[in-house]
Amino acid sequence: MWFEFMVAWRFLKSNKTQTLLILLGIIVGVTVQIFLGSLISGLQTDLINQTVGSSPHITVLPEDQTPRPLVINEDKYSRIITFAGNEGGINRWQEIENYLNDQNDVTAVSPTIDGSGFAVRGQKNLPVVIRGIDINKADGIYNITDNIVKGQTNIGGNNILIGTELANELELQPNDTIKITTSGGISDRFIVSGVFDLGSKQLNNSWIFMSIRRASTLFNFNDQISNIEIQIEDVFASDRIADQIMVRFNQINAESWQRNNQQLLTALQSQSSSSLIIQIFVIIAVTLGIASVLAVSVVQKSRQIGILKAMGTKRKRVGTIFLIQGAILGLTGSLLGALSGIGLSQLFITFTRDQSGEPLFPITVDPTFIIISIVIATSAGMLAASIPARSSAKLNPIEVIHNA
Amino acid sequence: MPNIVETNNLIKVYGKEVKNEVLHGINLEIKKGEFSSIIGPSGSGKSTLLNLLGALDKPTEGNIYLNGYHINELDDDELADFRNKNLGFVFQFHHLLPEFTSVENVLIPNWINGGNTEKKNKERAMELLSLVDLEGFEHKLVTKLSGGQKQRVAVARSLMNKPDIILADEPTGNLDTETSTKIYNLLRDINKELDTTFIIVTHDRHIASKTDRVIEIIDGNIDKDYKNNPEDEFNNFEQVAPEYCFLCGQNIIK
Repeated sequence: MWFEFMVAWRFLKSNKTQTLLILLGIIVGVTVQIFLGSLISGLQTDLINQTVGSSPHITVLPEDQTPRPLVINEDKYSRIITFAGNEGGINRWQEIENYLNDQNDVTAVSPTIDGSGFAVRGQKNLPVVIRGIDINKADGIYNITDNIVKGQTNIGGNNILIGTELANELELQPNDTIKITTSGGISDRFIVSGVFDLGSKQLNNSWIFMSIRRASTLFNFNDQISNIEIQIEDVFASDRIADQIMVRFNQINAESWQRNNQQLLTALQSQSSSSLIIQIFVIIAVTLGIASVLAVSVVQKSRQIGILKAMGTKRKRVGTIFLIQGAILGLTGSLLGALSGIGLSQLFITFTRDQSGEPLFPITVDPTFIIISIVIATSAGMLAASIPARSSAKLNPIEVIHNA
Repeated sequence: MPNIVETNNLIKVYGKEVKNEVLHGINLEIKKGEFSSIIGPSGSGKSTLLNLLGALDKPTEGNIYLNGYHINELDDDELADFRNKNLGFVFQFHHLLPEFTSVENVLIPNWINGGNTEKKNKERAMELLSLVDLEGFEHKLVTKLSGGQKQRVAVARSLMNKPDIILADEPTGNLDTETSTKIYNLLRDINKELDTTFIIVTHDRHIASKTDRVIEIIDGNIDKDYKNNPEDEFNNFEQVAPEYCFLCGQNIIK
């Protein structure tokens, strides 16, 4: 192998211009591939993060119940039926929670009581979403404790946490009190213990956290809860795990983020495929480039090949010389291309920033992707070299050595 | 003395549809250590014979034995291996690899044979280069050498794997008389010192007259085969097979 490598190297070195041109071709190809791939995967990761980063991946809800007729007024001419959907909760939720906690791929489980109402202070009256939680469990999803900007994380008793927007709107500071009226008409006074910023204007404007026990009494939920929010290790397993939960327990519904964001996922999918197609064509162009250069090189080096064969080099080894040339070109070109692709990505991040100095486009340079690119380019180089390698192996030394 | 080269009824036919028989049954025996020449006009079949003797090609009919091997029975890879270990080649156009230096070119047969960068191999290559009087040129690219120097590198290369037979195809074909004589003397010295068998294919009667045995090929047959004494003072190129001296009267030596 050492001998073949040596000859391959010398052959490449002796045709410097040719070698440099094809190297440049590979470098440009791999640069485009890595830049494009990193940009697309960065954008997608960012989009998915925004969608599922600080939100539940799966939500376990009570089963939708068929509306039951409540009142039937029937007379001679008409029949009036009033329907009511049972706004029921989940009954055996501790059992479900324990089951979920035992699953390896589940990272956070947060039983929640949800309700709507109004926050009232003075003349102002704002609609809010009241969420009864266990702070330690909910932190696994929303990371509330780390996002408290004022006051402290205390939701014991009548203490509640509100968002920054709501606090501004109602001019609330920690330790201020606030009246909350539920949609069911029940009112109570609460103490603001902390103000959070969850990074979303909508949440900061409407969410109020209180303890699950307090929410239970406020909404008269008894032993039930509204839902269980779950985060999982692999966000793309949400469908599977949701199905698994539904099979295991009756009378509940498990909604996965994937099912609720079907359109987004389809868009991401088609983006990925178009990026993949571009990358494939780049690789094909690079492969053809290497193949044509090496095919010319076989003709250029036919005399040398003939001499090597006359002196006893076996067919296979002559072919190997060209395979090695393809591999050297592919490997060197793709290594340099990877560097320049990473460089281009960094440059892009540096120069495309919004006013706050945050990069406009997130670009993730994934080492696995780069290694795969390098492996593909190197194999493409060897594949490209296999045709010239075959023709070089067929070359008859007699024809070459008797002609100058 | 045993025969190092032996052929019986060697026939070579080229072409599949239009058959062209180039050799019509060559019987040849060459003893170890002989310094012989094969001479003949172009088209006589001497290059074809050289290809067969050089194990570069296989006969259509007849057997060929080189250095104890029955060449007919070897496949392509075995032939390659055989050439590498048993034969040395010196070609008309030196046929060195221009991408390598002198010493690397000399080492190539050894590398092909699985040799590596071992010091003793390199030392041998250096010795061979000094044997052909090329000290100081070892690390020059061969493209920087003169024609005679290149041919001497080629001679050194042919000796690298200590072959038993050296085949030289017009080794002085494109060299001037003085350089030709030097190369000839070099081959002669090697023959005497190492007892290497030499087969020199040439159309140069001057060179042929300096070998111990002249085999004349005409139209695919051995026409003449005789001992020659290079020391004979009356011996000159015109007297080598005068009746077939097709080039006599032409000034073939510059």
